[in-house]
Amino acid sequence: MNETERAEAFYAHVGSGGKVEADDWMPDDYRAAVLKFVEMHANSELMGVLPEREWILRAPTLRRKLALTSKVQDEVGHAQLLYRVAEDLGKPREQMLADLMAGTTKFHNVFHYPTRSWADVGIIAWLVDAAAIVSQQALRDSSYAPYARTMKKICWEESVHIMHGRDVVLTMMNGTAAQRALVQDALDRWWGPLMQMHGPPTDPSKDKDLHWRIKAKGNEQLRQEFLSIYVPRIRELGLRIPDSELEYDEATGRWHYTEPDWDELRSVVTGHGPKSQERLAFRRFNHGQTQWVRDAVLAPAAAAA
Amino acid sequence: MSELDAVPRQALAELLLTVADDEFVIGFWDSEWTGIAPMLEEDVAMSSISQDEIGHARALYELLAGLTDTDADAIAFGRPAADFRHAALLNHARTDWAFTVARRYLYETADAVRLAALARSSYAPLSELVTKMRREESYHLLHMDAWLRRLAAAAHDRLASALERAWPDAQAIFTPPAGEAALLEAAILPDPFAALHERWLGQLRPVFAELDLPIVSAAVPSDGRTRRTDDFAWLHGEFTSVAGSEAGATW
Repeated sequence: MNETERAEAFYAHVGSGGKVEADDWMPDDYRAAVLKFVEMHANSELMGVLPEREWILRAPTLRRKLALTSKVQDEVGHAQLLYRVAEDLGKPREQMLADLMAGTTKFHNVFHYPTRSWADVGIIAWLVDAAAIVSQQALRDSSYAPYARTMKKICWEESVHIMHGRDVVLTMMNGTAAQRALVQDALDRWWGPLMQMHGPPTDPSKDKDLHWRIKAKGNEQLRQEFLSIYVPRIRELGLRIPDSELEYDEATGRWHYTEPDWDELRSVVTGHGPKSQERLAFRRFNHGQTQWVRDAVLAPAAAAA
Repeated sequence: MSELDAVPRQALAELLLTVADDEFVIGFWDSEWTGIAPMLEEDVAMSSISQDEIGHARALYELLAGLTDTDADAIAFGRPAADFRHAALLNHARTDWAFTVARRYLYETADAVRLAALARSSYAPLSELVTKMRREESYHLLHMDAWLRRLAAAAHDRLASALERAWPDAQAIFTPPAGEAALLEAAILPDPFAALHERWLGQLRPVFAELDLPIVSAAVPSDGRTRRTDDFAWLHGEFTSVAGSEAGATW
């Protein structure tokens, strides 16, 4: 079997629902595509820590303090698991961190925005995590088996975050007028990024991540699923969604909404979001401050090995 | 022990507040490492330790709340900075990893001595709680012992200077709460803090000698649990910023 036939057999295998393990043979372009996808996911978990971390010291009750710290810790743990999956595809963790901090690799749009009040902590944990879990649940069927297995664990933990987030929001909506206003303000600011989060609709025949079943569902399908589940839940709490066009079309069975700002999405994920450079600078600063620890602890271990 | 007399009851409240505030404040400082620790593996571990401390603080505040007819969150988030009773060691900001390891090692070892004594307290709700806490604390101690040894071998001078900086204020963990005599008389506190201090020094000396680490001469300060700093004022401002933003609001 020559290289082309081998690749054709591989794509026929994944196309019919077959799985790929780390030590299986795979075409270079499949390996590169999985690596890029998982690396961006890992980067997003690691950068997603920063907006919520700002509130770890400000959590207003002992229970919230524990829930928020634990949530952020889970995300660090997810980053660790995902970088491990990516490392097995051939790129060392330090290189991935260096590329992230240099701005040459990406992370999800929602982590480029500021958090302005405690209500943001609730909206992020509830709705950003909910939008993420819609796509992450689909990734449990990824053709790359180590990624699919990791997503099973991650999805379970994300479902706990959503409960914590909803409880923060619910408590504030049942509270004072000022608290309710904070939640509405947070939703107004986060709705645009949430609608952009799954990306513009793509042509399934040209989306190779979909074609190779690295991911199992298209962008628009994920957004529709998110809207179907969460629009009623958001409204149920007395919140107003800031999109006058948003409505469910019974005839087509689809949500109609104002076209998300795809220029904003492209600009944000290429490092031009309101907090992109500040957060990358913060990562670089802390990485630099702790370099001596890694040098001290990891170098002797490597020398001994 | 609801039949506790007023004097030991007040002293017990002071004792609970000192231990709870220690756990609360160190848990807050070190939770700040979540997301930015030197390695992802350590990030997860240090965050767990911080969460354990906050959990212990909550349990101790709840015990105290039962004696004083209030609730744990009101004690934790409703006091001015001057009313906190944590040891001076915990007045310092998170600083760097060397200081974090130095402070945590001194704190964990001192806390272990204190908890071993309180596990024998005549006040059953306290001895029962402390027995549970010690199970988690023994893991923290192992973890910090490993870090102390690692840094002593690979970054000795940084660790030594961080220990020298932390050492004088670490003695304040053994500054006795107001009413120690009443606590001793009621056997709520089985040993005086001066004896616990000696026990702690006796445990540290051989470890520090083995690792060639400095022990600075310093006494237990009488104001070790009432002195406050700008660092703590800043932290207090942070952790009360949401809780204190609107009177009567529930979060």
